[in-house]
Amino acid sequence: MIRTAIRGLTANRLRLLLTAASIVLGVAFVAGSFVFTDTIGARFQTLFDDVYAGVDATIRPDQEVLGPGQGGLDEDILGEIEAVEGVESAAGSVAGFAQIINANGEPLGGQGPPTLGFSWVDEPELNPMAISSENGRAPQRAGEVTIDVATAKNEGLSVGDRVDIQTIAGVDTYTIVGLANFGTEDNLAGATLTSFTLAEAQELFDLEGRLSVVDVVAAEGVEPEALIARLSAIVPDRAEVVTGDQQTREQFDQFTEGLGFLETALLAFAGIAVFVGAFVIQNTFRITVAQRVRELALLRAVGATGSQVTRLVLVEALIVAVVASAVGVLAGIGVAELIKTGMDTAGLSIPDGPLTVAPRTIAVSMVVGITVTVLAALLPARRASSIPPVAAMSDAHARTSPKSLRTRALVGASLAGGGAVAMTAGLLVGNDASAALVVGGALSLFLGMSTLAPLVAVPVARILSAPIRGITGTMARENTARQPRRTASTASALMIGVALVVFTSIFAASIKASVAETLESSFPADLAFASTNLTVGVSPAAMERLAERPEFSVVSAVSMGTFEIEGEEIGVVGVEPQTVSRVYDLGASIDISDLGDGLMVHEDVLETRGWSVGDVISIDYSGGDNVTTEIVGTFIDQTFAAFVISEEVFVELISDDLIAISFARLADGVSLDEGLAAAETAMAGFPNVDINTKSDQIADAEAQVDQLVALFSGLLGLALVIALLGIANTLTLSIVERTREIGLLRAVGMSRRQVRQTIRWEAVITAVFGALLGLLIGVGIGFGVVTSLGDSGLGSFAIPWGQLAIGLVAAALAGLIASLGPARKAARMDVLRAIAYE
Amino acid sequence: MTLAPERVETGVAARMEGGVKVYGSGDTEVRALDGVDIGFEQQRFTAIMGPSGSGKSTLLHILAGLDSLDSGRTFIGDIELGSLNDRKLTLLRREKVGFIFQAYNLIPTLSADENIRLPISIAGDKPDEDWFNEVVGILGLADRLGHRPSELSGGQQQRAAAARALVSRPEIIFADEPSGNLDSRSGGELLEFMRRAVKELEQTIVMVTHDPVAAGYSDRVVFLEDGTVVGQMDNPTPESVIDRMKTLGG
Repeated sequence: MIRTAIRGLTANRLRLLLTAASIVLGVAFVAGSFVFTDTIGARFQTLFDDVYAGVDATIRPDQEVLGPGQGGLDEDILGEIEAVEGVESAAGSVAGFAQIINANGEPLGGQGPPTLGFSWVDEPELNPMAISSENGRAPQRAGEVTIDVATAKNEGLSVGDRVDIQTIAGVDTYTIVGLANFGTEDNLAGATLTSFTLAEAQELFDLEGRLSVVDVVAAEGVEPEALIARLSAIVPDRAEVVTGDQQTREQFDQFTEGLGFLETALLAFAGIAVFVGAFVIQNTFRITVAQRVRELALLRAVGATGSQVTRLVLVEALIVAVVASAVGVLAGIGVAELIKTGMDTAGLSIPDGPLTVAPRTIAVSMVVGITVTVLAALLPARRASSIPPVAAMSDAHARTSPKSLRTRALVGASLAGGGAVAMTAGLLVGNDASAALVVGGALSLFLGMSTLAPLVAVPVARILSAPIRGITGTMARENTARQPRRTASTASALMIGVALVVFTSIFAASIKASVAETLESSFPADLAFASTNLTVGVSPAAMERLAERPEFSVVSAVSMGTFEIEGEEIGVVGVEPQTVSRVYDLGASIDISDLGDGLMVHEDVLETRGWSVGDVISIDYSGGDNVTTEIVGTFIDQTFAAFVISEEVFVELISDDLIAISFARLADGVSLDEGLAAAETAMAGFPNVDINTKSDQIADAEAQVDQLVALFSGLLGLALVIALLGIANTLTLSIVERTREIGLLRAVGMSRRQVRQTIRWEAVITAVFGALLGLLIGVGIGFGVVTSLGDSGLGSFAIPWGQLAIGLVAAALAGLIASLGPARKAARMDVLRAIAYE
Repeated sequence: MTLAPERVETGVAARMEGGVKVYGSGDTEVRALDGVDIGFEQQRFTAIMGPSGSGKSTLLHILAGLDSLDSGRTFIGDIELGSLNDRKLTLLRREKVGFIFQAYNLIPTLSADENIRLPISIAGDKPDEDWFNEVVGILGLADRLGHRPSELSGGQQQRAAAARALVSRPEIIFADEPSGNLDSRSGGELLEFMRRAVKELEQTIVMVTHDPVAAGYSDRVVFLEDGTVVGQMDNPTPESVIDRMKTLGG
């Protein structure tokens, strides 16, 4: 059986190639996702290990109590540590926010990669940064700074240049004395790195007399454990001693926190691509089985059993799957290298080193590729077993009977309906099972719709082709209607990708509409001041300057931070009770000026947690303070967080430098332009503050959503490409099937151009059919999701008609492109050979 | 209105001069046509006969513009085919040539009516409805027009193919074993229709066959052997054809 299968495959390379292509692409995406994220992880691991290799122990503020990077150590501790037996050397340092402002006055980094500032550590073993001899020296006095090599290259800065740097203390001008590498790298994955003298850094980061961390090198022959024990004995409360390894690992974990999410996201899109690929594979096998009816019937006629024929097809599938998956893994490694190069070019420098191809990557990719292929081939293989031996002698073979059409309708409707119900349930329930319900529901919905699609394929094809004039239109229409299952299955592959793109754009349009609506209704302020960088926020000093301007009647700040309730870290905002109502409508149940030390809770959260107004709850602040607070009221706004406290409490217990956004209202008689000019003057020393008008804010929100949509659509692109490959597959195989017919048409006078046209129209009809199905499902899912999430701030359901229309045209064009190869092949067919073709 | 166009009685619809066609080379060389000179008069029904491998199918394909000669010339009317590119050959086939193959003559997705109109649809023209009705009437297909090929009998399918060949009023119709797949009664009917088309509709048909009975319906038989014309016979009967074939190698 295996030999027959191999013979069959090698005899028909086209079939092999067409089947394999979609597997290769899907598996490449899976493998590429793994290799890419593994490689980034491994390379940074190596970099961190190298950079911190010299650190044997680290003394730092207790992270259990204070949270990572919070608080500080008294700088006098350094002397005590140096005195501990077994300490070879120790160095204290501080870290904080420092944002370089380029020659055009634009802050670098923004909300992208971090903008990190350090104090320079003279002990090379304890300093992750290094300055090579041709790149200047370390900072030695106030006003001197080093920047990372990559930033210097990108911004054309060199030793001796003057540069503006924003810190929480404000903006000042510094002289660049050195260009530093992070380990061996030009920078740290796109983060900007600056360093100052310790004294200046302490001042700039608001850590006078304090250290963020003290790193220790053990003396020769001293056991780290013994050293740590001795160090632990002398450190004060709220400080801890950890090994260098642990510190490195924690720093690394913090740095790569997003990597796990990236992997999950990439794999999700890879999963979609594989799912779409399954449709293409199934269709290809279905067609090839149909084309080999005679051959398979002959096998039956000479004594093969039905199940042997099934096995033959499955073994073929298995061989194709193994080969294609292996190629896919290799291609995936190439894909990962490509993404990496792309990120390097984009300035996110990733350390050099080998690609990490974990055994897990190969295993998972192969298993996915093989399983999906064999599963997809299962149905066509089973159908092959029902070919009667007599089919070897005649052209006739079984047709779908009306009864099985009814079964199809039932099965399809229940799959689609069940899927829709599961998705709705998943969206409404909102617990751990939600994601599984939504994903499973979507799969079921897609399978159901593709099961139903053949039932409407014929009428839809007729309607779609009605405007196409002439014989080529008629032929194309009849060709798509001739095999409704084939057409529908081909279209279904496209349907999935289109549905997801449509859903994404509807979801995005609805978010945009909701944001615009919310801003219009709840934002009485004329101007908003937001930080370009979430690390530092808007300086309170900037707000004071603003409040002094006569152009503004009200200036009110909103701070964002977190606290813990019942052990859970939760977002909280601080507002100025006296003024907030005049710039922002929280929809509060009380007069906010009566907030006092109390807490306002979002009404939904109040309900879910079973609290009521008047309850007193216990709150843990990151500084270690535990405070009991009365719930004094509720509110309904969704924009910021579920808890509101007064700015006064916020400053005292959370932070005094984290104003996230500030609102201002123009005084009577001041125009928006005058207000803007005044605001710009007031903000002159604070380049990291973005001044926004209401329409700016709407535009900003929209731009962010658009970016996300573009990213999603890009990632769904491969699923669409695979679907188009499916169209090309179906056409190519159908053309082989119709060789005689095409020969006849050419003989009676059809020109090559007309043949090409026929095939093209066929592809366009199929593609538009698939796109329409996708549109229908996408709009349906979009409506369901937006409606279900209506309670969580997604009030408006919006359909981007323009985008959808463009999408349909694009689908038609894509179909056209998919048909180019097959159409050429058909047109080039030799007439004589075609009419003699068996 | 005259249903058939006026034609010069003695005109030649198609002819070949010194036709040579060689397949393969060296040891495997086959001279399918080896110096063929032949003409086909208008409004006559000519049969080409010969044993397997005599070159009769090759002759037909080349005359119809589906294949080309290695040397020599082929004409449809006054047009020399060797000088035509693919596009012009396609137009020629569409406008001046009709085809009836042994099998697989009809597009399965199109109805009989659409199949018969196919060459006209391909050209983007409107058919002459009177002529269409006359052809369909003579071929006995008037009540089968709405059916798909799979719903027609073998004889009806071949008659539909004949109707398609006739409906565009070509200069000449080539038929390759048109009755080869039919039982003798349906085959007889088809050939009788073809003869009527020549007599009553003033068409020109060239038919390749190896069946003496089929050849008996024609006005003239041309005998082919080893790529050369070895004889011909006017007003043949099945018996005279069989007698003649006995003298040939096949």
